[in-house]
Amino acid sequence: MPDQTLTKPLTKNICPQHKPPDIERYQDNGGYSGWRKALGMAPEDIVELVQKSGLRGRGGAGFNTGLKWSFVPRGKGSPAVKYLVCNADEMEPGTFKDRLLMEQNPHLLIEGMAIAAYAIEARTAYIFIRGEYHLAAVRLEQAINEARQAGLIGPDILNSGYSLEIYLHRSAGNYICGEETALLNALEGRRAIPRAKPPFPQVSGLWGKPTVVNNVETLCNIPHLIELGSEWYKSLGRCQDAGSKLFGVSGKVNKPGTWELPMGTPIREIIEEHAGGMRDGLKLKGFLPGGGSTDFLGPTDLDLPMDYDAIAKAGSRMGTGTIIVLDDHTCPVGLVLNLSQFFARESCGWCTPCRDGLPWVVEILTRIENGSGTPEDLDLLQEQVARMGPGNTFCALAPGAAEPLQSALRLFEEDFIDHIRKGRCPYR
Amino acid sequence: MPTITIDGKNYQAEEQENLLSVCLTAGINLPYFCWHPAMGSVGACRQCAVIEYKNTDDKHGRLVMSCMTQVREGGIYSVDATRARQFRGGIIENLMTNHPHDCPVCEEGGECHLQDMTEMSGHTMRRFRGRKRTHRNQYLGPFINHEMNRCIACYRCTRFYRDYAGGTDLQPLARNNQVYFGRHEDGLLENGFSGNLVEVCPTGVFTDKTFSKHFVRKWDLQSAPSVCEHCAVGCNTAPGARAPGNGKDPILRRVVNLYNRDINGYFLCDRGRFGYDYVNSEKRIKNVLVACEKNIISSTAAPGERIHGEIHPEPAVKHLARHLAEVQQGRRRLIGIGSPRSSLENNFALRELVGKNNFFSGLSARDLQLLQLVDRTQRDARIHCPTTPEIESADAILILGEDIDNTAPRVALAVRQAARNRQKRQAQQLQIPLWQDASVRQLRVEASPIFFIGLEKPRLADITSATLLGTPEQTALFADSIAQLILGDDTGARKLAPDCRAQVEQVANTLRQAENPLIISGCGSRSSDIIHCAGKIAATLADTSSSPCSLYLACPEVNSLGLTQFFPAGEGDLEQLAHTLEIHSGTPCTLIVLENDLYRRADRHTVERIFNSADAVILIDTLLNNTARHADLIFPAAATAESQGTYINSQGTAQRFYAVCEGASYIQESWRWLVDAANFCKQKSPQLATIAAWRHSMDLSEALAANFHQFEVLEKIGPDENYRLNGLKIARQSHRYSGRTALGAKAQVAELPPHPDPDAPMTFSMEGIQSPAMTPLSAHIWSPGWNSNQSIIKFQQEINGHRLGVRGSVPIRRQPQPLPEWQLAASVPAKTSKTLTAVPLYRLFGSGELSVGAAAIASVTDIPFAQISREDAQRLDVTAGDIGQLQLGGESHTVEIRISDAQPPGTVGVPSGLPGLETLAALLPAPAQLERRSDREPGETP
Repeated sequence: MPDQTLTKPLTKNICPQHKPPDIERYQDNGGYSGWRKALGMAPEDIVELVQKSGLRGRGGAGFNTGLKWSFVPRGKGSPAVKYLVCNADEMEPGTFKDRLLMEQNPHLLIEGMAIAAYAIEARTAYIFIRGEYHLAAVRLEQAINEARQAGLIGPDILNSGYSLEIYLHRSAGNYICGEETALLNALEGRRAIPRAKPPFPQVSGLWGKPTVVNNVETLCNIPHLIELGSEWYKSLGRCQDAGSKLFGVSGKVNKPGTWELPMGTPIREIIEEHAGGMRDGLKLKGFLPGGGSTDFLGPTDLDLPMDYDAIAKAGSRMGTGTIIVLDDHTCPVGLVLNLSQFFARESCGWCTPCRDGLPWVVEILTRIENGSGTPEDLDLLQEQVARMGPGNTFCALAPGAAEPLQSALRLFEEDFIDHIRKGRCPYR
Repeated sequence: MPTITIDGKNYQAEEQENLLSVCLTAGINLPYFCWHPAMGSVGACRQCAVIEYKNTDDKHGRLVMSCMTQVREGGIYSVDATRARQFRGGIIENLMTNHPHDCPVCEEGGECHLQDMTEMSGHTMRRFRGRKRTHRNQYLGPFINHEMNRCIACYRCTRFYRDYAGGTDLQPLARNNQVYFGRHEDGLLENGFSGNLVEVCPTGVFTDKTFSKHFVRKWDLQSAPSVCEHCAVGCNTAPGARAPGNGKDPILRRVVNLYNRDINGYFLCDRGRFGYDYVNSEKRIKNVLVACEKNIISSTAAPGERIHGEIHPEPAVKHLARHLAEVQQGRRRLIGIGSPRSSLENNFALRELVGKNNFFSGLSARDLQLLQLVDRTQRDARIHCPTTPEIESADAILILGEDIDNTAPRVALAVRQAARNRQKRQAQQLQIPLWQDASVRQLRVEASPIFFIGLEKPRLADITSATLLGTPEQTALFADSIAQLILGDDTGARKLAPDCRAQVEQVANTLRQAENPLIISGCGSRSSDIIHCAGKIAATLADTSSSPCSLYLACPEVNSLGLTQFFPAGEGDLEQLAHTLEIHSGTPCTLIVLENDLYRRADRHTVERIFNSADAVILIDTLLNNTARHADLIFPAAATAESQGTYINSQGTAQRFYAVCEGASYIQESWRWLVDAANFCKQKSPQLATIAAWRHSMDLSEALAANFHQFEVLEKIGPDENYRLNGLKIARQSHRYSGRTALGAKAQVAELPPHPDPDAPMTFSMEGIQSPAMTPLSAHIWSPGWNSNQSIIKFQQEINGHRLGVRGSVPIRRQPQPLPEWQLAASVPAKTSKTLTAVPLYRLFGSGELSVGAAAIASVTDIPFAQISREDAQRLDVTAGDIGQLQLGGESHTVEIRISDAQPPGTVGVPSGLPGLETLAALLPAPAQLERRSDREPGETP
């Protein structure tokens, strides 16, 4: 009997002390019942249900998942071949939520993918997984094999006439592969650079066929959503946004980690209750609410609920929902330099503001951090930030990279000036 | 047509066009890098940013990339807005962080798009204080220099090389600001269009290595519109020349593309770009040479070979004049042999001098017949000779027995674009404008149907839907079956093997259903049956669709089709000449050979019969060749870049070319030697008097126009030498040409007057009109702020439109004639165990007679080889790499044996015109024998 009181659908099977559930334990605990139910539904009804539930993509952009699926051409005259791709290239700095799901509950992802593929009428699905996620890859392979042996994926699933193959592809390693069109290029064996849009992947994606790319966590939301319905799903959230979400905290807190909480859980609650607050003697100076490519928020923003619109209104993005905490003993310039080095290295090299702007940012921040910065450098940084603004670049990498920088320049201006004035890093 | 506003001014824009093209067409200077008129937009460099406003109330606007922005009716944009200008300046600043600022030692300097755009964007101060990233450069072969530190990562090189030209061995490697455009390892760039990288690259990463050897700045080159002489496509070029100073003769230093929308667009092949250097070859004839009295007796000399010494032109011309006098007195016969690689004017002058009955084509009967068949086929009203944009838009293409990759490379490049037409159609269905290059190319659609039937697997094979390989006979058989099938008759197809039959049916069906089919064939297989079939297919398709069908017939040489016009069917070939000479052997005979090596044209026996029947052989040519060995007198002929004249290309288009520089030493146009001789004759027949009166190249062009109705258009191409623009001639040198007074100062302080040009209204100096906007005679493509060849957009009616001004290319007018009656004769090739049929193979580097004289091309030209099938290799007990002896038409050549799975069994592929085997070209196809050489000394190369 479906449990309408379920509040942690994503992690209900996860227990850090135990191995992840194999297919038997997973099914004993109600697993694959969403998939069995979905097989009895019309694909377009699933799309509508997901759209109505208000599930928004958990990869960072927060686009309505059902709406994304609805762009896939279906019916007469539509291409026979379609693909579902799971974006498991979790490389956002500070983000480790998809890893938890894949390592600890791989069948949930397989089930979610099966339903999603069925809904968009795809018969082939790929998991594009970050190369370093070795354990997750091993466990997913195993889960795929188990599901295939159980007849839950493969040819003619449960005598429904529907067939689905799921393949795991391990990335060669590149942050840009998290951008869905660069991911498709990489999957095709091409250079991992973002594609021009239009055409959007839903129309012409992998090998030119209609393709939906969804994040791991997004897909993990699907099985229970199908089983328990959109009203249950909406009720999970504490705000306008529906469902539960994996939130994480890293930085100098007492208990860094990741937890499944209702959408709209206040940031203070996440940091203080779940992450155990700041370590002794440290004060929170600021935080990146949704991973390395979001704007810093300050202590005054702690009471904001973690939902897409509230965080956006405060001038940042909820992104992946994984908070990076900056304390008062850590150099903000060093933090931004570290992030910028990452983004500069991971630039695909396609467009100028990103390819040539980020290394320059690194050069300037390195000088400031090493004590040879000049006041003009701050203007230069502001100019670089402006050059990398949304729309000025080909994809979202550089605007994302500019977010922690631009907000740090605003929130921690004193720290930058201090570096320049003292000719050294005051935190060292 | 949408009306848009840019900075408060209204403009009419083309529907669906991108804003960058619209701005450039409107003459607005907007900097860009990754956009290219032929390759469209990809939005990589972000240089062309402008502000787009939502409506008149929107004062802030939004920064957009103009190349990625489709204009909309009523759109309001600003190029001038401070925010846009600052952003563009910032982009340049970012691009330049790793650029080495090495303009003074960079060969791109002075024609560098990066310099121009940097200036235009207003970035002047360097604020970047970090270290620049550096790269290791690669050896890319004898044509292209590689200097990666200059790279600004616009991706144009690999977009051209891979996406446009189908190359595979140049790619973007690595990521972030380490991105590297190179090969996986050092080595010759494999694609035959690699030279375009020099022009496509906006800075000095890829530069012309042959130019490096005698480099000067662009502004120090003099130039004129010319036509590439290395095949019959007739690409327009702008060669550059400059004297090295101290009274030395000018050197032809490079060739760059000269835009002609209907022929070459923006791109040349590597034979055309790098072949120019034959002009500077050691084999170049610069002075008058006379044979010494005694024949050489040496083991390496051929019979009749002589040694030559230089003499002053005057006695030589007088010698020729004496012969002319004797001819007038009836004591001597005069025979003229023309040439398909010489201009109409030169051929005409010789014809007028010797009389039309004594004028011969210099081609074998087979070659002349093939060309006459091409000419006849093109005269059929149902046949249309397509332009390059028309080739690119064909929706089904059948290539029949013509290795266009190597015989008409620019056409092959156009065919490659046609492969994308289904993709483009899908893009249009998805409302994606075609200039959105990356968006269009990522659509995975079946390639447009392109079929190849011929001997050797083409480079184009990566885009062909079906490739049927076979001998010329088989090709004709397939083609004839296709023609029948289009008419609904499957008699021929039923006789084919089932898999061939299926393919032939597919071809016929596809062509029949195509809206815009194109057939490509030519003389390459040296088979009249194939040309007949191509004509028949095209005519049949035209009959079924009631509109003319496009048929491109590739001719072998730059003026093949022009030369053909002088000869009625069945007249003028070399065999006939040999025969005639032998009949009239009593009278002394002078043979004037115009720019021709007869050993490449006919079998050795026929050529020697001709030479033996003449008591004087006079050659006028550019390079020493086998014919020169037998000549009594050799006059130095001007090369294309040193002369003016008209060529007729394979499309039947007459094109005028102009002298870029005066030839070195005593070099002059071939016709001028004849006129000089006529002038030395004391007694002149009316004919000789007419010839003696010719002063200007246009005199001959006009005479041609008057004498041949096909050539009436010649009068209309280009103005004559009396033309003036605002009272001025057109300057060949730029207004920045340096060293005018210093160049010869060591030899002579006084500045000598420029060499006069009697032929064109152009000066060999800086004086005169220098604007390419005012006349297409100006080949110095330059506009203020636009020093690179990118500035061609300033001289187009619209982006990718025709060049401004009167066009120098006009189709000749031929009397329409229906296709000749013809039936494919059943042929049963005789097969004996030892005899193979030698068939011609073509090579971009090697098959061109003149281009192999260019040092860089010679360095990559193959050694003599013969290619056979695996089956025959087993039978003959040879392996790949063996040295073999090829017996063909009484000649024996040492060759390297190659084995190819695609080579039809029973045939041996012989590279046409390849140095060492050039005397075999005229014999193919012919029976041949190949066996391994057992007597080879170790280490001996063929």
